[in-house]
Amino acid sequence: MTTDERPRDAPTNATDASPDIETGRYLYCVVQTDDDATLETTGIDGESVSVVAEDGIGAVVHDCDSLYDSADLTQIQHWLVRHQTVVDAAGQAFGTPVPFQFDTILRGDDTRLREWLREESETLRPVLSELADHWEYRIEVVEFDAPDDRTLVERDDRLAELDERIADASEGQAFLLEKQFEQRLTELRTARRETMAAELEADLAETVREVHTLDRSPASDIADVARAEDETEDGDDAETLCRLTVLAHEDDEDAVGSILDGVAAEDGLEVRFTGPWPPYTFAPELGTDPDGQNGDPTGAGTDTDPL
Amino acid sequence: MSTIDVGDGDDARQGLITLVITVVELLIDALEREAVRRMESGNLSDEEIDRLGQQLATIEAEIEQLKADEGIEDGVDDLRGDLDGLVSDAIEQLDADSTPRHAPGYSVFGGENS
Repeated sequence: MTTDERPRDAPTNATDASPDIETGRYLYCVVQTDDDATLETTGIDGESVSVVAEDGIGAVVHDCDSLYDSADLTQIQHWLVRHQTVVDAAGQAFGTPVPFQFDTILRGDDTRLREWLREESETLRPVLSELADHWEYRIEVVEFDAPDDRTLVERDDRLAELDERIADASEGQAFLLEKQFEQRLTELRTARRETMAAELEADLAETVREVHTLDRSPASDIADVARAEDETEDGDDAETLCRLTVLAHEDDEDAVGSILDGVAAEDGLEVRFTGPWPPYTFAPELGTDPDGQNGDPTGAGTDTDPL
Repeated sequence: MSTIDVGDGDDARQGLITLVITVVELLIDALEREAVRRMESGNLSDEEIDRLGQQLATIEAEIEQLKADEGIEDGVDDLRGDLDGLVSDAIEQLDADSTPRHAPGYSVFGGENS
């Protein structure tokens, strides 16, 4: 579970965040660019977004004077969507961005920002060049007509045996045998699902740079909001077999697509493929480095990440 | 999941029943597995197996009835799901000691066109 369970009306960083930031720069992401620019999109709360470049690294920022903290979940969702929209726009304009967590703020003005970019260039440059032209793609495989119990009984000797014993058993014994039967069914379905997922993962791993398995059902509230529209098209008997996210070179997008076409060609399977996304899953968590090496460069700290 | 919220006032009663029933269900699951194990071990007579199964079936039916009467079927399912998540998290945290925490799954926000 990745949701943050801390109460939203209790600031978690009361000690270091409550003070005024006065002058700060809200960081969306960094990109590879040589020149300052303005980005044709509006940022969080309608702020205008600019790119401050130093040494070939551009920070996508807006001016701000406080953290974005609210007890109102809807408000936070709006902010997050704006945050993501800006990162997407930056990606389109400058190539693969390295995104920052929501509410990452650097204290100080543009001069301080340039200074920070110079200080961090040794960390940022390799990350940017490694991720250049690579994007994140999300894959979800959904099954509509999973084999029913009867089909599985025909295929599995153990189930068939239990089935026969149940027919001849006393009432009490039948109850216990049915428990075994159900357990075996669950095992078979799980094994089948895991085999399919593992095969897909192995196929993808040959083409893409990295594959991650995600939880089969997203736990996050935000994800629920984003997916609310999708829900309706799922039939009752649709089951998610696996959810994966991959980091792939943009030239390999078609290759990934044809692997997935192979999966989708199987009866009863549907593949949902989204992307390219900024490499959210694959970028290091800049600004929150737990090692403290580059940790918390913001001076203001990052607020709770509601994801 | 760090807390189990049982609510307050009237909610508290239902929350508490949900919690109790969930725990009882987990206990029954364990009993059923043990009963199956003993049945398969061959040490029980047919009569004993039948009695054991019938008793467990009765308990299970009672619990189902109780859940329906209280309208907490979904609540119990949700709590069981949360507890599963809790266990998975605990296992992941054990793993996380050796590997840097770089967990995917926190970034699924936004719609496809946003």
